[in-house]
Amino acid sequence: MYIHRALLLAIGIILVFLPSIAQWLTDSDTAWYRPFQLWFLLVLAAYWNQRSGFSDEL
Amino acid sequence: MSYSLTQIMVFVIAYLSGLFAVAHLADSGAISRRITHHPAVYVLSLGVFAGAMATNGVIALAQQYGYNFLLYYMGAVVMFAAAALVLMPLLRLCRVYQLASLADVLTFRFRSPWVGAAITIAMCVTLLPLLALQIQAVAGTVNLLAGDSTVVTTGPERHNQLALFFCIIITAFSILFGTRHRSYQERNTGLVTAIAFESVVKLSALLILMFVALYQVFGGFGGLEHWLTDNPHLGRQLRESVDGDVARTLLLVFFAGAVCMPHIFHMAFAENHDSAEMRAATWGLPLYLLLLALPVLPIAWACLKLGHSVPAEFSSLALGLALESTALSALAFVASLSAASATIIVTTLALANMCLTHLVVPFRLPKTAMNQSLYTQLLWGRRILIPVLILGGYSFYSALGNEQQLTELALVAFAGTLHFLPGLIATPYWPKANRLGLLAGLAGGLSIWFIALLMPLISNFQADALHPLFGALSGVTQNAWAAATLVSIFVNSGLFVLVSLVTRTTKSERVAAEICSMDARARPTKQSLAVVRAADFSTQLAPALGAKTAKSEVDLALEELQFSADEDRPYALRRLRARIEANLSGLLGPAAANRIIESGLPFQPGIDDDGDDLYSMERDIDQAQPRFTGLAADLDDLRRHHRETLDKLPIGACSIGANGELLMWNRSMEQITQIEADRVLGSLLGSIPAPWNQILAGFHAADEDTAPKTEVTTNSTVRWISLHKAAIEEGGKGDTIILVEDITDYEVLESELLHSERLASIGRLAAGVAHEIGNPVTGIACLAQNLEYETDPGEIRHMAQDILKQTARVTRIVESLMNFSHTGSSAGEVELLPANLADCVDEAIHLLSLDRDAKPVSFNNHCDRELLVSADSQRLLQVFVNLLGNARDACDEYGEIHIRARADANHINIDVEDNGCGIPAELQQQVFEPFFTTKDPGVGTGLGLSLVYSIMEDMQGKVMVASPILDGPQPGTRVSLQLDRASYGTSFQT
Repeated sequence: MYIHRALLLAIGIILVFLPSIAQWLTDSDTAWYRPFQLWFLLVLAAYWNQRSGFSDEL
Repeated sequence: MSYSLTQIMVFVIAYLSGLFAVAHLADSGAISRRITHHPAVYVLSLGVFAGAMATNGVIALAQQYGYNFLLYYMGAVVMFAAAALVLMPLLRLCRVYQLASLADVLTFRFRSPWVGAAITIAMCVTLLPLLALQIQAVAGTVNLLAGDSTVVTTGPERHNQLALFFCIIITAFSILFGTRHRSYQERNTGLVTAIAFESVVKLSALLILMFVALYQVFGGFGGLEHWLTDNPHLGRQLRESVDGDVARTLLLVFFAGAVCMPHIFHMAFAENHDSAEMRAATWGLPLYLLLLALPVLPIAWACLKLGHSVPAEFSSLALGLALESTALSALAFVASLSAASATIIVTTLALANMCLTHLVVPFRLPKTAMNQSLYTQLLWGRRILIPVLILGGYSFYSALGNEQQLTELALVAFAGTLHFLPGLIATPYWPKANRLGLLAGLAGGLSIWFIALLMPLISNFQADALHPLFGALSGVTQNAWAAATLVSIFVNSGLFVLVSLVTRTTKSERVAAEICSMDARARPTKQSLAVVRAADFSTQLAPALGAKTAKSEVDLALEELQFSADEDRPYALRRLRARIEANLSGLLGPAAANRIIESGLPFQPGIDDDGDDLYSMERDIDQAQPRFTGLAADLDDLRRHHRETLDKLPIGACSIGANGELLMWNRSMEQITQIEADRVLGSLLGSIPAPWNQILAGFHAADEDTAPKTEVTTNSTVRWISLHKAAIEEGGKGDTIILVEDITDYEVLESELLHSERLASIGRLAAGVAHEIGNPVTGIACLAQNLEYETDPGEIRHMAQDILKQTARVTRIVESLMNFSHTGSSAGEVELLPANLADCVDEAIHLLSLDRDAKPVSFNNHCDRELLVSADSQRLLQVFVNLLGNARDACDEYGEIHIRARADANHINIDVEDNGCGIPAELQQQVFEPFFTTKDPGVGTGLGLSLVYSIMEDMQGKVMVASPILDGPQPGTRVSLQLDRASYGTSFQT
């Protein structure tokens, strides 16, 4: 099986920090669009990940 | 402020006509291919995920669940951002095996038409709420747009009429969109472009509405911030976290929906086979959904601020109504219309195809009429199924009585499609999963979904009694939907795992599981087909497909593979069979395709070879050029190194499978045989061009592992090759490797040496010959002088007879010499004929006796005068001249040389014995090597015995040497020859 190490690492990190992220997102004094900023960072990460390429051409 | 119904319906028709025009322009090429095939178009077409739920329902979701409305998008975002885990393996599978739907994938994996049928029926049922949602969103929007909102809420009949009218229009367009192509083998460029266009339209509409809300309602971004500060309860409501389990359930269903929903699956896999486009979607779709989600909160808040009373799911329309802007209302309507129409069109197309390939074709193939091709019948099948499905959606919508919120419908539909996720995940990851487990899981999970979630929607049945049970089982007590969804998916997964573990997985399922597993490619086996030519495929498939369709499909597959119709290589035929099956799978579904191929083009029973098709395997790996890492990369490097070594070996090497298929043919083989590897690899050994087929097949079948010298004539050129073979027992499953050495240069050199040696022999004999000829010439001269004066006729006659005797003697000497010198000046073919052994020995003795300077040894020919050997008499003469000459050189003046022959049933053994100095034991192994001599320099060339060995090999004989054979100072040497016994045969005797 191909091991997508970066992807698995990212999932692990997200799982570990999910409570903190949720807390940060729902802080009462934060801007309403903060989740969208985080979402945009996720898009950038996905863009960076696909540029490095992964092969499943077999 | 409102539009008339007529205006709205004309607008709907105009919009859909515009959409159809876009599709037509894309299909006809009027829109540049650079645009229609740009990855951005593919990414935008995936925006079909965001149906009316995204334009309408999600606002209500935000009001109900706060920030958790983002989970609706997050499901798809996570699915695509982590595409390498599920989407990429699926894309590979769909591309190779032409799978166009989830039912195709699961049928392919679980090898049963019943799985496809079950998935299709289940999918149709679970999608009913989603279709109803789209219809309700459009009908509701039209209703609001066309009249007083107070009338809307109390007028279900008008709702239904509007919905029916919308369904009729959308049916017509769905048929126009969906039946333009005969199958899903090729990309439906028009559809993809049209759906991408719709995605742009709904995004643009929502973004415009967002800016209007921000700047016209709130007076700018700062105004919104102030308004939120003034209304802190809205911020709290937004951030009020719902129960974690509910959030997780929402994420799970939307995650599953992002791949299990048929319209998304269709756009993601059936309309795209390119990994690069999928890679673009991994960030492109999340970005698109981000932009689509951004307007939700500003529009919802603007609507709250304006205080319009319409339901939250129509907030975007309410904005236009509140601001009394017909343009804004129209924009909101366009957003809903584009989202709903895209979802309905693609969903019904995908479902129609599924119904056709899994409910109709596997159980009753269309009858192939003479004047109607299968393709036409399939198109008509889709045309009939599309209205049936939309009518089903409308009926469901009518049954709901317009009493359900859009969000409710969406959640029920997404909860239903969640049940296809276990099978989909198991496809690449769990080889033990089997069809019984899948069907059991689906039956269990969907039963709960049906009772707890669907039934309450369409009937008075309430599952209140079950909620405490579900709450206790799932641990979710606050939300009945989440509890029922979790329990149903637990039951589904549990039954799937349990039944799969306790029941047997069939061989075909294991093979399919291996193909579907992420690290495995299709492993073709070296099975032989009953059909031996590509041209015969059409005939075999005609009974099932009809002659016209069968020929069309075979021609298409041949063209795709770039094979000719007279192709007969087993490897190529297997590839052709697989390609036709894949193409038929795109046309008729995997179950029917497999059934047609198995019945029309079966593998030959009994002679199946379980070995992998190594040639195909290596070719595929080389073509794919995968990027291996770690141990796999090391192994691949090692493979390439060994491959290169074999390929560049200066000796021809070919590998043959147990069934006679050629698996390897290196460059030296190409040079020796003048046959390119691509032409013969995968062929049966006996079918490669002559004369190599006979030579190699004969040697492959022979018991001997070596054929030292084999003559080959190609294009009037004679070559000699030496063959060696070895069986690959371990791991090779009966494969054989044959080495072919081109020894033509060696043979030519040997022949030239033979001739040189012969000339040298003649040179040594020249003095003796001159003397031998001189004596009779002197005698003739004397007789001629006497004849001049002789008058007695009797005496003259006597003298003439003497002259004739002397000339006969001269003639015999000259003939002997000429015979000897003409013994093959070039390496001609050895012709084995019966030859008298004693006569040949006599001739050799006679030739040697011409040498007056030689030692006067005694030659004794004891051979039976009747013995015949199978030999080339001239070459045999050379053998004896060399052997007897050597024997004479080894003897002293009193040497005796004996030639004896013994005959058995098949052979004649000839011994040449002398009482000479003998050959030391340590030199006996070398005496047959070229240029080895124990004589003084200038006396011997060292080629005599080497040539004897070579000639005896040519004549299929043997030669051995033994020394000493006598006691005393002259131990002597015995050279033993063995030749086949011969006779003149009956033809000679008569």
